Amino acid sequence: MREVRFIQAINEALLEEMKRDETVFIFGECVRGGTFPHTNGLFEKFGKDRVLDTSISENAIAGAAVGAALAGYRPIAELMFSDFFLIAGDEICNKAAKWRFTHGMKLKMPIVYMASTGGYIRSDSEHSQSVESLIMHTPGLRIAIPTTPYDAKGLLKTAIRDDDPVVYLYHKLLLTKKGEIPDEEYTIPFGLADVKKEGKDVTVVAVGFMVDLSLGVANKLQERGISVEVIDPRTLEPFDIDTIVTSVKKTKRVVIVDEDTLRCGVTGEIGMQIMEKAFDYLDAPIQRVAAANCPIPAGWYLEEHVLPQPPDIAAAILKVLGKDMDISDMKKEKVGFDAVKAFGDLGITKVKQN
Amino acid sequence: MLTKEQKMKLYTNLVRVRKLDEIMVKGVLSGKVCGHWSSQKGQEAVGVGATTFLRKDDYIFFCHRGHGITTVIPKGISPRAFIAEHFSKNSGACQGMGCLHVADMEYGAPGLSGSLGGDFVLAAGMGIAAKMRAKGQVVVCIQGDGTYGRGTFHEAALMAANWKLPIVWGVENNQYMVFTPTSDIFPKENMADLAFGYGMPGVVVDGQDVVAVFEAFQTAIERARAGEGPSLIECKTYRIEPHTYGMVDKRCAGLRSPEEIEPWVKKDPVNLFQERLLKEGVLTQADVDRIDREAIEEMEEAERFATESPAPDPQILKQVLYWK
Repeated sequence: MREVRFIQAINEALLEEMKRDETVFIFGECVRGGTFPHTNGLFEKFGKDRVLDTSISENAIAGAAVGAALAGYRPIAELMFSDFFLIAGDEICNKAAKWRFTHGMKLKMPIVYMASTGGYIRSDSEHSQSVESLIMHTPGLRIAIPTTPYDAKGLLKTAIRDDDPVVYLYHKLLLTKKGEIPDEEYTIPFGLADVKKEGKDVTVVAVGFMVDLSLGVANKLQERGISVEVIDPRTLEPFDIDTIVTSVKKTKRVVIVDEDTLRCGVTGEIGMQIMEKAFDYLDAPIQRVAAANCPIPAGWYLEEHVLPQPPDIAAAILKVLGKDMDISDMKKEKVGFDAVKAFGDLGITKVKQN
Repeated sequence: MLTKEQKMKLYTNLVRVRKLDEIMVKGVLSGKVCGHWSSQKGQEAVGVGATTFLRKDDYIFFCHRGHGITTVIPKGISPRAFIAEHFSKNSGACQGMGCLHVADMEYGAPGLSGSLGGDFVLAAGMGIAAKMRAKGQVVVCIQGDGTYGRGTFHEAALMAANWKLPIVWGVENNQYMVFTPTSDIFPKENMADLAFGYGMPGVVVDGQDVVAVFEAFQTAIERARAGEGPSLIECKTYRIEPHTYGMVDKRCAGLRSPEEIEPWVKKDPVNLFQERLLKEGVLTQADVDRIDREAIEEMEEAERFATESPAPDPQILKQVLYWK
């Protein structure tokens, strides 16, 4: 085992898969230079035919990926921000997702649509969104959201080898996160949730970056005698409801945490699936924590009032347990400043802030 | 021909925008600017030349670089509102909700698309409204070279040409799309050639020459006001700063060389125009010093105002999404 950053894990998966299979290629805006530097080194290794900078043309990137896949290649389309999936909605949700179905199941669609996701970076409403509910909603698309370097590498390798279109989202705040990965080759199958922390009092199902926030809260509550189990579904399609149901049978209480909006977000879908499969085991109504039904405001001051915060997660856990406890030590996630530092660590920016 | 007063106004706006850029850089370094700052230094002649003499009721769209600094300031939005918005204060142009998305419809500036190239189709709609209202308004939509890769331009250009909408499309071609040279993604020398497929005039102009930019836009604006339809103007300029302030300055997978930047630093649009006006006798050195001093005072006062303004009240989140 060795320790790498999340972004290195992505980079390794890309390098290994492009080396293994010469039909794999990557294209998008600035993939040679790497605005998020997970594509660093690819151009030097594989050259201009397999590492292509495009114009600002999301429709063409997403649509050309479909065309190249139909013609026998395995494109990785880098869209930079998941917000831009909305631009390429026709190509991703209508073409990539539906053409195999529409055309008699004779077509393979081995595409990976990659993009950064999520907020807490104090950017703006069109660079901070979480779009997992839109993707999970669309039949025909797979979706993987890794939260550790280990998962980032293993899931990406599976995504690249998958013959269906996969949306692969990396959270901006996880890029610098460190974790261990094995020296030998490995992949992680889709549809297999990971219990990130075992517990017995309450099950927290958390998606993406919310896994990290939930683990932070769970560790603090552990000191106060509350044992929280944190489950990371890792892929939302396919979705491993069985692991969650097994946990619910043990804890009898559930909190679901997601960064997308509360209304029609994935928390509602996951909660309903639990109701359908494990209602009889529940001792309390399911609690949800998600973003307010509001665009994400830019600037220093308002984002924390929209996106889920550790105190929100702690409060939901206490509510589902029917407990009252002082949680004033749980702070909101003021990470805009740290993100700048993190990007500095990654060599994206050299700015020093006072 | 420009009058002496008009030349003075163009020069003053160039200097004001340059001083504001310097304040914004300081704001990034002191941690007051939220997010990033994409300096437009060296490209000011494009926006200033195009928008300084627009009517207040004309509409503008601007490119991401500079966050509108070279267009919204000449158009009339105050440096106070511009800086306060970047500090995300409630006195900002968008009450601290937009940060780099500065907007004020009182000055015909509806905002900035988060996805680059998202503005073209909105400009087409404002062109439809301007034509319907028949008060001679125009839409000036200046976007970066990279955005012309979006299909949105082509859809909007077709609509505007077909319906003779009063729109002037501007390409601020600074030759870079983050790390990618524009020459790597656009096969022809001139992006102005895009105009011909849509049957509109396509003009190339020296983007370092504020008078040349003004004249090209003036011709197109008069044409648009007369109901003769849209034009496309490509302003050749160069991005001397990194993509965002402090960012690693790459070209493709490597670093950009200082030798590449150097000749363009010498073609600084503020210095070029100042030299010309001194030579023509329009400006004296005393004027130059006074305009500099006044611009610095204006921007420093605006910075103090922004710093002292309060943060927005979170209650605003309950009011902003829907009209009622």
